Amino acid sequence: MNPLGWLPKRRADLLTDQQRQRCTQLPRAQPLDSTALSATRLVVVDLETTGLNVHRDRILSVGAVVIENNCIDLGSQYECTLYRENHQVSESILIHGIAPSAIAQGVDAADALLDFMTFSGECVFIACHAAFDQRMLLRGLRLDLGYKLRHKFLDVAELAPMLCPEANLPQGGLDDWQAYFGLQNSQRHNAAADALATAEIMLILLAKAKAQGLTTLAEVKSRLGQWRRLRHARVGSF
Amino acid sequence: MTREDRFAQAGKTAVMQNVHGTISFLLAYPPFNLMEHAHLAWLVEHAQLRFYAAGEQILHPQDGPVQQFFVVKQGLIRGERLITGQQEPDTTFEISTGECFPLAALIGERATRTVHLAGEDTFCLTINRNDFVSLFRRSLPFRDFALRGVSSLLDQVNQQAQQQASESLGSHYSLDARLAELTDRAPITCTLDTPIRAAVKLMHEASVGSIVITDGRQAPLGIFTLRDLRGLIADAATDLEQPISQVMIANPSHLPSSASAFDAAIAMTRQHIAHICLVDQGRLTGVVSERDLFSLQRVDLVHMARTLREAPTLETLVALRSEIRRLVDSMLAHGASSTQVTRIITLLNDHSVCRAIELCIQEQGDPGVAFSWLCFGSEGRQEQTLHTDQDNGILFVASSAEQTEQTRQLLLPLAKRINQALAACGFTLCKGNIMAGNPQLCLSASEWAERFGRMIESTTPKNLLASSIYFDFRVVWGDADAAERMFQSVLKRINGNSLFQHQMAQNALLHRPPIGRLREFILARSGTEKDTLDLKIQGLGPFVDGARLLALANGVTNSNTLARLQALRAAGVIEPLDADAYVEAYQFIQLVRMQQHQVQDREGQPLSNRIDPDSLNHLDRRILRESFRQAKRLQASLALRYNL
Repeated sequence: MNPLGWLPKRRADLLTDQQRQRCTQLPRAQPLDSTALSATRLVVVDLETTGLNVHRDRILSVGAVVIENNCIDLGSQYECTLYRENHQVSESILIHGIAPSAIAQGVDAADALLDFMTFSGECVFIACHAAFDQRMLLRGLRLDLGYKLRHKFLDVAELAPMLCPEANLPQGGLDDWQAYFGLQNSQRHNAAADALATAEIMLILLAKAKAQGLTTLAEVKSRLGQWRRLRHARVGSF
Repeated sequence: MTREDRFAQAGKTAVMQNVHGTISFLLAYPPFNLMEHAHLAWLVEHAQLRFYAAGEQILHPQDGPVQQFFVVKQGLIRGERLITGQQEPDTTFEISTGECFPLAALIGERATRTVHLAGEDTFCLTINRNDFVSLFRRSLPFRDFALRGVSSLLDQVNQQAQQQASESLGSHYSLDARLAELTDRAPITCTLDTPIRAAVKLMHEASVGSIVITDGRQAPLGIFTLRDLRGLIADAATDLEQPISQVMIANPSHLPSSASAFDAAIAMTRQHIAHICLVDQGRLTGVVSERDLFSLQRVDLVHMARTLREAPTLETLVALRSEIRRLVDSMLAHGASSTQVTRIITLLNDHSVCRAIELCIQEQGDPGVAFSWLCFGSEGRQEQTLHTDQDNGILFVASSAEQTEQTRQLLLPLAKRINQALAACGFTLCKGNIMAGNPQLCLSASEWAERFGRMIESTTPKNLLASSIYFDFRVVWGDADAAERMFQSVLKRINGNSLFQHQMAQNALLHRPPIGRLREFILARSGTEKDTLDLKIQGLGPFVDGARLLALANGVTNSNTLARLQALRAAGVIEPLDADAYVEAYQFIQLVRMQQHQVQDREGQPLSNRIDPDSLNHLDRRILRESFRQAKRLQASLALRYNL
């Protein structure tokens, strides 16, 4: 009897040679340096998971949309449902709407994540409430591939209130910002549609950033730092 | 499944899932709603989504040839052009959700002529020029849309480029085809001294129906056709060895080779001939026969005109008139434009009026004095639809007051009879009694000049209304010289009277085009006219009134609105791009009105100019809205010009 049997299984030990080989060839991460925003590959990612617990729940599907040169290429999008053994139906199915049958037909998780990381390339990831996606992806890649994710994440839920203080939506989520910018999106809550909605908001934010004189990744990073400190100070003073 | 396959499969799933949303967005708008699903999917897979903040510039004339095709996914694009002498740039068009740009520049492989700005925060789908071209090749509805007139309204299209594109992209034949395209062989010619027999031999060998007699420089001196030969042979005494100059028709009718098939048909109808010479810079370049105008023969136009002109009795004339309706139906079905249809109706109406006058003279006896038959209002402007009132008068020449009164008494009974005959032919009697049978409208040339002079000098509301009817004036029957001399003097008086012009300008701003600030239609709120707008008063009115004012003020003698606009364009009074846009907008409103009349007529309803814009399809509604916006621009330019 394994006393650690309740821990999630590290499937990374079961990888095939081919998968191991692919893992070593994945592109490097784009640092938040003096690269211009317009020259950066921004991959807007949205994960559907079995639940909201970043320590226990697992990735069910990955959706991604690419922004390059300030535009979304509709022809290159990514969505993949991951195959999970013994997937239990939970209340989360009401949110993500992925039927257990779709998961049973999904792509082997290791292959799917390898495909996704290959697709993403040398990029900065964008997400709404990015901390969640970052930690889910970090953990998923570690467990399924034994791969350490070094990619940077920019959070739309931070960038938006920073660039549009007039909206007065300090805690706004994807739906709030969609409503604020008057964006219509028909098929929300599948990973790719959520990614597209987030990407549309990101396009607006890129225009705002440019108007406010932010042109490089480093400038965005330093401005975010200031903004976080300012926000902490305000919250602290209450 | 190999790794690559799986990767491709995963990509496909994604494209299917998300691209689907974009496709269903596109499906709500033309031309996408008519396109095959596979073509739409192809479009979206090759599309990018871009965002433009309000005020951001998207295209500029100095950017060079346009590299992308845009569909507005959300937001508003504004086209702006700087007008000389004006501080603020002028918005020439607006493009909203579901609409595309810049079609003309893409097809013409050139830069846009207009600065395109984001009017508000805007998302656009874009595809690259190369992908646009492949889509243009693959999808027929897309191609039709890109080449349609709508684009010129939205984009002030270079029509030449459009036409050339449509020629190279697929054979196209219409009433607008240039005559040069209809004649593919060199004309058969001979000289003045060629014997008739030799000339006929030339015609026979080339198997053509006509020969043109030219001088050494290829200038046409005369024409001889098979019809003329028939007459010669019937006369046994004819010497076939005599020179052709003895029997040819001298000074043959001619048009430039750039004229349209429609122009040729009109000329043939007007002059009862079957051949027209094409002459460029004084030299013969071709001959167009009735047979070359294949598509027009189907609508039986030439035949119709001939029968009307030769109707033996009033009863026959009345019976023939009902045929005009069928002809208009058929012309609209063949895709004729509103201008073409109004010109045909006017032409056939003119033939009817002339024949009615002649038949009345036959019946009542010749009054023994020369007179000219004038018409006013829409008939004067040659803009009649099926729904037409009589507005007419008589002008005669007299030297003394006594002679004037005498002549009037001679002509009045005949004039009254003609009014009745025309009423029988379907020209409704004028409620305001603007008819030649009214003694106040049966005047000598000097009386007319005096009457017009009074209208100009004392600008009462009644006189202003009258001037908007009488100054759209034309001679339909009889000698035109006296009337034209009289009108020239009127034009001079108008030119020197700025108060009159100012009042006319105020009058021209009276009826506002029915669109609001939010670019939607303004409709009647209650009553039987609820939810409708008036195409004639609110839509055509601003163009008719504006063109009249500018024409009268600038000495342009044409009475037709489109001819006035074109003359004003040529005279530099209106900017060429503006004039073109006005012309197109006017034509489109007229077309919508005419189509509605045809439907009402077919269903036995009274003809009405009121329309519910919701009854139009999406595309027509958009063009109509844009047309009204052009009317608004014309009024704004009048207000600026006359400081109103």
